[in-house]
Amino acid sequence: MKMKWLALIVLTIFTAVIAGCGTSGDANIIKIGNAVALTGDNSTWGQAEKNALEMEIEKINAKGGVLGKKLQLVAYDTRADATEGVNVTKRLISDKVVGIIGPGQSGVAIAMSSVTEPAKVPFIATSATNPKVTVDDKTNKVRKYAFRTCFIDPFQGTVAAQFAAKELKAKTAAIVYDVGSDYSAWLGKYFIAEFEKQGGKIVANEAFRSGELDYRAILGKIKGTNPDVIFIPTMQKEAALVMKQAADLGIKTKFVGGDGWGSPDLITLGGSAVEGSYFVNLASMDDPDIQTFIKEYQAKYKADPIMPNPVMAIDALYALIDAMTKTNSTDPAKIAEQLEKTKDLQVLSGKLTIDPNTHDPLNKPAIIQEVKDGKFVFKSKFVTQ
Amino acid sequence: MFIQTLVTGLAIGGIYALMAVGYSLVFSILNFSNFAYGSIIMLGAYIGYFSLMKMGVPVYGAIIASIIGAAFLCLLNERLAYSTLRKRNASSLYFMISAMGTSIFLENLVYATIGSRFYAFPEVLTQQNISFGGVSIGLLDVFAIVFSFTAIYALHYFLQNSRTGIAIRAASYDMQVSQLNGVNISKTIGWVFLLAGALAGISGMFLGMKYMVYPTMGWITNKAYIAAVIGGLGSLPGAVVGGLLLGVLETFVSAYVSSVVRDVFSFSLLVILLLVLPTGLFGKFLEEKV
Repeated sequence: MKMKWLALIVLTIFTAVIAGCGTSGDANIIKIGNAVALTGDNSTWGQAEKNALEMEIEKINAKGGVLGKKLQLVAYDTRADATEGVNVTKRLISDKVVGIIGPGQSGVAIAMSSVTEPAKVPFIATSATNPKVTVDDKTNKVRKYAFRTCFIDPFQGTVAAQFAAKELKAKTAAIVYDVGSDYSAWLGKYFIAEFEKQGGKIVANEAFRSGELDYRAILGKIKGTNPDVIFIPTMQKEAALVMKQAADLGIKTKFVGGDGWGSPDLITLGGSAVEGSYFVNLASMDDPDIQTFIKEYQAKYKADPIMPNPVMAIDALYALIDAMTKTNSTDPAKIAEQLEKTKDLQVLSGKLTIDPNTHDPLNKPAIIQEVKDGKFVFKSKFVTQ
Repeated sequence: MFIQTLVTGLAIGGIYALMAVGYSLVFSILNFSNFAYGSIIMLGAYIGYFSLMKMGVPVYGAIIASIIGAAFLCLLNERLAYSTLRKRNASSLYFMISAMGTSIFLENLVYATIGSRFYAFPEVLTQQNISFGGVSIGLLDVFAIVFSFTAIYALHYFLQNSRTGIAIRAASYDMQVSQLNGVNISKTIGWVFLLAGALAGISGMFLGMKYMVYPTMGWITNKAYIAAVIGGLGSLPGAVVGGLLLGVLETFVSAYVSSVVRDVFSFSLLVILLLVLPTGLFGKFLEEKV
């Protein structure tokens, strides 16, 4: 008898769940997916990204929505983890989203495309800068359903190396990179290639494993080579610790990094050790084009948006909306086809044109920021050469 | 470079040693790996950070708050997660699983309530260095090494001379026989967890100052487990020696080989050592623990 009751309860729950799934496909709502890191090391950017998207969608809905329907953001947490990213993507696809905004991490994006390609649902990565995100390196063909609104690492590495060689007048450089991260390892390689092209010399190239806390052993080794500049292509947490421990060991040199540094955490964690360091970023709080957005965000969330993900995500949102209106459709496959043709579209960070051969944006400028008096200060702007 | 590497290695080893002692203490009595220890260390760091930064408690006060807080959390951990198992005479495997569950629970609790942000202690506390002959070491590192040894000595003294200490030692030989002889087992074990928790509090405070405070910082205790095994499980001097040895070895491998293969080396050492000395460097037979 007991078993019967149990079976009945289980059955009821299942029916309720299935029914719930069925009714969620409201005809007057367009669902937009957001695969985003809401917890974990990358959550500062992820939370700002989700907030910004919600704010923008609210505004669009107030103006009547898209194709006469209301937009709805479906955001799931990837924890910046590739496995979790795949799970989240499957969930978003079963939720019938028209497209996915995010992720911000190259490793997660590459893993996700194994799901999005067969399902024919496009994703637009926000800050995943590795070339392999949109182009399959085995076949050298563009992934049909993978897009991004950020520049790519070869460009970023080139900018960092040129900046170090030309503006910092560095002759020798050391690299400290995370061997467990595609982003970090490849950015380091692109930097080396360009720095050597500029006539510089790499005196040390040291790897550590993801999650490392103590860098003093490798820094002790680097100290002996006395480089003009140390390039640290990692996220803010590792970069702050490396610079802090370098200061402990009495290393006096210039530090340069990539867009992974662009979180206020860099300053909170690194303190005085990060003063006077430089990094390449996708968007800056000082950019005059995005001041209205920043004010709206500050008014709504009582905090600064953490650059650059919110801006990259809103660019992606407008690209999706543009593709929907131009095709007059909510079919993900049709949207993907149209996304490829995006040209001179006015988005938050400027004009967006997608290169159909690589699905990367064209002519995206890179910004060099300096850490000065505990703030990120705009230093100079580089454009693809 | 050799001397700097050695000094850095000892400094890192000091952190491992500090954590390994607390971990070893619990192992010596209950004979299981308390994997929740890392999370207690993490909570200790949060208590220290928030009392210093948000409640304006002075540094020494924050350290004391962290010690007391972590000690009580460790006791609470025992009362909620292990005491029922102990009363049912469960095998140590179940204790370990319960510990892992507690660890995951605590980490996620912090994610859900405090969030995943990183916190750093103010620089005045963390950036003091001592330099001699081109070699530099942080004041905090010196403190870790000195404190590890002091803590061991204090613990040793306590275990040898106090009534509770004697009860703990008796319990570690045979819990049931000592119970028959009038030792209050529940109270004794409570003391063990309070002591281990106090060490977790100071380790957490120290780790937080040295690196930063964040929900998964407890993972570093994996190194403490290895250090304890190298030194001989349940042996307190062994935990200290194992910790220092592991720290020095890792630093030398990082500096002279590559930090990518560091863990390959340290785990290989562990396996080889266990093949030669199955009970670790200071290991005795289980009957002779503490």
